[in-house]
Amino acid sequence: MRARWRAAGLAVSTVALLPAAWSVIVAMPSFGEHVSPYGAAVNAVVPAARHVSNMVAAVNFDLRGLDTLGEESMLLCAVTGTVVLLRGARGEETSGSAIRLPGRAIAQRSDATILICRFAATLLFFFGVYVALHGLVTPGGGFQGGVVIASALLLLYLGEGYAHWRSIVRGRVLSVLEGAGALLFVLVGLIPLAFGKAAFQNILPLGTFRDLYAGGTMVVVNAAVACAVAGGFTLILLEFMEETRAPETETEPGEGG
Amino acid sequence: MSVLPWCVAAWLFAVGIYGVVTSRHYVHLVGCLSVCQSATYVLLLAVGFHWNAGPPIFYDHPPGTPAVDPVVQALVLTDIVIGATVTALLLAIVVQVQKLSGSVDPQRLRPLRPNA
Amino acid sequence: MSWLTGIMLVVAAGAGVLVVLSRDPKRQLFALFANGLVLSLLFFVLQAPDVALSEIVVGAVVVPLLFLVALAAIAVAKVRE
Repeated sequence: MRARWRAAGLAVSTVALLPAAWSVIVAMPSFGEHVSPYGAAVNAVVPAARHVSNMVAAVNFDLRGLDTLGEESMLLCAVTGTVVLLRGARGEETSGSAIRLPGRAIAQRSDATILICRFAATLLFFFGVYVALHGLVTPGGGFQGGVVIASALLLLYLGEGYAHWRSIVRGRVLSVLEGAGALLFVLVGLIPLAFGKAAFQNILPLGTFRDLYAGGTMVVVNAAVACAVAGGFTLILLEFMEETRAPETETEPGEGG
Repeated sequence: MSVLPWCVAAWLFAVGIYGVVTSRHYVHLVGCLSVCQSATYVLLLAVGFHWNAGPPIFYDHPPGTPAVDPVVQALVLTDIVIGATVTALLLAIVVQVQKLSGSVDPQRLRPLRPNA
Repeated sequence: MSWLTGIMLVVAAGAGVLVVLSRDPKRQLFALFANGLVLSLLFFVLQAPDVALSEIVVGAVVVPLLFLVALAAIAVAKVRE
């Protein structure tokens, strides 16, 4: 009867917390009427102080760059955890053929799929680079661009099949990309210390307002985040895909590599 | 209308917790956790919203036009991407659970106990 | 435009309920896709284009794909034992 107890506990706690939740909801400021002072200060000061026009990217990469470094290391830890969990149980060998599940039909990939995926993946890849590059002037940035690049690399899998895809998208390149992005971010934070300034201070020349490369160190941090996010997401999906591969040899898992 | 976003955030969180408690498949459970996460996104963005204000991007509009709060948008932005990564980690744990105990039903698995 | 914001909030609440009520993970994929789409539109209406861009790509492409591949890995692990 564990499920019954759990559901009963949920019902009791919901009923008990409902008056508290309602009093908090009523005490919140009216929706849309409240102006937050920190946000208003950022909107008023940052375009002249940092010469960028995307306030969200300025907050992410410069004003609160330390928080973004924390998020970046969370990304690194989650990707490392996933890879260790999946690769540790499976071993390091890769193979090119999928496991055939009994009773599942094997569908042939049609030529239209292959062609459209090739076009779309190329376009999407460049769109991701565009979104990442223009992150400081228009909506976009390293996080969005990195995820779009990762999804472009995954669209390639749909068109090419697993063996060809693995030869194009390599695990080691992705690990290096991800690690280099995180390392660059940390360096941008620590190098100003060598010049006697504060950590994460914007030491590069700021450029003109609304220019593509304005913002100083924000441009470098943007690129680093795009690389790290693209590498991390593709690596995660690659590890999951490897789970569905047929083992080539009969070695014990964990003894390979 | 003035309390609708707070109610929607509380509702989404409650619905997500209900899904976690009554789930029969671990992958479904991870999906319900992502509903809980979306409750926080709605709450944060609604806190920063202001009527008749535009987005905090000053490329087409000159700086000084009324804009919503960019700080909460920065928080939610990184949160979405990192939340997807943590979801991937949870799914890897689910795959390991299947391998080690043969079942992904939360109500059939017992906590690990040391062998007496 | 307050009616648009109100409608999007209610639809987002409904999409969350749909994700929870789809018990079969293979069906939950589509509910997650719809949830990501609806949330992204809500964020767009709340004047947050950056966040909407991020949510569309993550919530509607990457997360359902992750779920699909995890389900495939679970099916393979079930067959292997």
